[in-house]
Amino acid sequence: MLSRITNPSEKTLAFFLLAPAFLLIGCIVVYPIGRLIFNSFHDIRLSGGTGVKFVGLENYLILIKDREFWNAAWNTLLITLITVPGGLLAGLGLAMLANLPFKRKWPVRLALLLPWALPLAFAGLIFAWFFHSEFGFVNDLWLRAGGAQREMWLSKPNTAFAAICFAIIWKSSSFVALILLAGLQMIPSSLYEAARVDGASRWQQFTKITLPLLVPSIVVAMIFRTITALQTFDIPYTMTKGGPGNATETLAMLIHKNTIDYLDVGYGSTLAMGMFGLSIILTYVYLRRMSAEDHVNE
Amino acid sequence: MSNLFSSAGLRLTAAAIVVINGFFPAVWILLTSLKSELELFQKPITYLPHNPTIVNYVKAFSEQPLLLFIKNSFIVASLSTLLTLVISAFAAYAIARLNLKRKQLILTIIIASSMFPLITLLVPIFETMRAAGLLNSYVALILPYTVLSLPVCTLVLVSFFQSIPKDLENAAMIDGCTRLGALWRVVVPLAAPGVFTAGILAFVNAWDEFLLALSLNANAQMRTLPVGITLYQGEYTFPWPIISAALIIAIVPVAILIALFQERVVSGLTSGGLKG
Repeated sequence: MLSRITNPSEKTLAFFLLAPAFLLIGCIVVYPIGRLIFNSFHDIRLSGGTGVKFVGLENYLILIKDREFWNAAWNTLLITLITVPGGLLAGLGLAMLANLPFKRKWPVRLALLLPWALPLAFAGLIFAWFFHSEFGFVNDLWLRAGGAQREMWLSKPNTAFAAICFAIIWKSSSFVALILLAGLQMIPSSLYEAARVDGASRWQQFTKITLPLLVPSIVVAMIFRTITALQTFDIPYTMTKGGPGNATETLAMLIHKNTIDYLDVGYGSTLAMGMFGLSIILTYVYLRRMSAEDHVNE
Repeated sequence: MSNLFSSAGLRLTAAAIVVINGFFPAVWILLTSLKSELELFQKPITYLPHNPTIVNYVKAFSEQPLLLFIKNSFIVASLSTLLTLVISAFAAYAIARLNLKRKQLILTIIIASSMFPLITLLVPIFETMRAAGLLNSYVALILPYTVLSLPVCTLVLVSFFQSIPKDLENAAMIDGCTRLGALWRVVVPLAAPGVFTAGILAFVNAWDEFLLALSLNANAQMRTLPVGITLYQGEYTFPWPIISAALIIAIVPVAILIALFQERVVSGLTSGGLKG
């Protein structure tokens, strides 16, 4: 009996080793998704105690006509389309600089790790302070650079949106740089030596060797950045609370507002389904693009 | 690329750009935290504090229960890290070592579980936790945080287990160890560095999380650090010097952790890079 416990067969052992992970995923991911789909067809308001009422597609019909939803979806899409390429470019620049042969590697490495480890909510607070209308660092630079007066950056729709994108790009670029740096370090230096012997310019080395060999790392970074960009919440929440008006409100913020503040779980779930829709459309476009590029490369 | 930056001066410039980009926000907050309120509200603003003061650090603790927030964050982050490590080590061992069909599928399912936007899961999780009376409890955060880090930790640990020669384990079993005995005496000690790397990633993930903590544990007694500090703002004013001091206090422990173990963190991040 004891030996059956201490010397289990492969199958039993595998079952018991994998069970906790799948139990957890079942409870925290699979069940909630099922619940979400169920909720979206029901009227559930936790504030009223009216219970759960089946309403069919009513929530979805409201969603289609909901200007707040389309506004938030557009903001989320725009943030994704700006900050994913922006963070990628900034991250590529940082990675190229960090890949130089330094004698001491730790200051540069720590400088890339620190923004990664900084909570998004803290980054939002810090950038809100940078863009402060009276005593912010940005306004100080603005005046020194010849700006006529202090600007209320976070109180105007366009500048607030730009400031949020800037903060997200800063926060995410160091993660991208770490991923790309690992990719850069795997490119054998013999390739560059051979290219130099053949008289390739530095720009040719970059476009013909570095970039093509970096594509796998770039794809990994882009996929994860896109997933996180679609969920953008912390930085706009701490910088502008979605304002002015709802100029910087993202889908995640709208879902949070409806569910947690208004306790309208039915409509909150429908909004979340809308977010699923957006993610699926974007993934589809991505895959189309990527397979199209594959054909070009062939 | 190397010729362009061959001189030491240009290399130094490159390093300076990266270092300033990474450190500047933290340094600016540090400078802000050392200024008196009087100095902070001067125009034009000062860069370096004229009369550095630690009064903001004292106030950060006295005006809000910062110690309580630290305690909450610490409990939630360490317990969820522990749970993640146990569960992901089990799963990773099974995937890396056992004779399983469909290994790739199992790993894919575990990784795919992190692809679902957390915000969409928030709605049903909030509803369920509320019904179970678990809002404003540590459990409410620990369970979702465990799922949050499960994919990255499993990936890191699978590659670590795969790097340990299977012969070592077989040899121990021939010498009379049981399978679990071999696991405990041979594999666990050799996998310790990998477990440690995965642990740091899980801890930072949990320490940083904001949305769930804000939604599930809004009660002042149960707030974690990011939520607690964000809500320092009064109804009409942001006490910036105090917020800055609190931010520095909150950043320093994690900064020290990653400074000490940078190489591990980087290797873990790039082998399972799942966080942005």
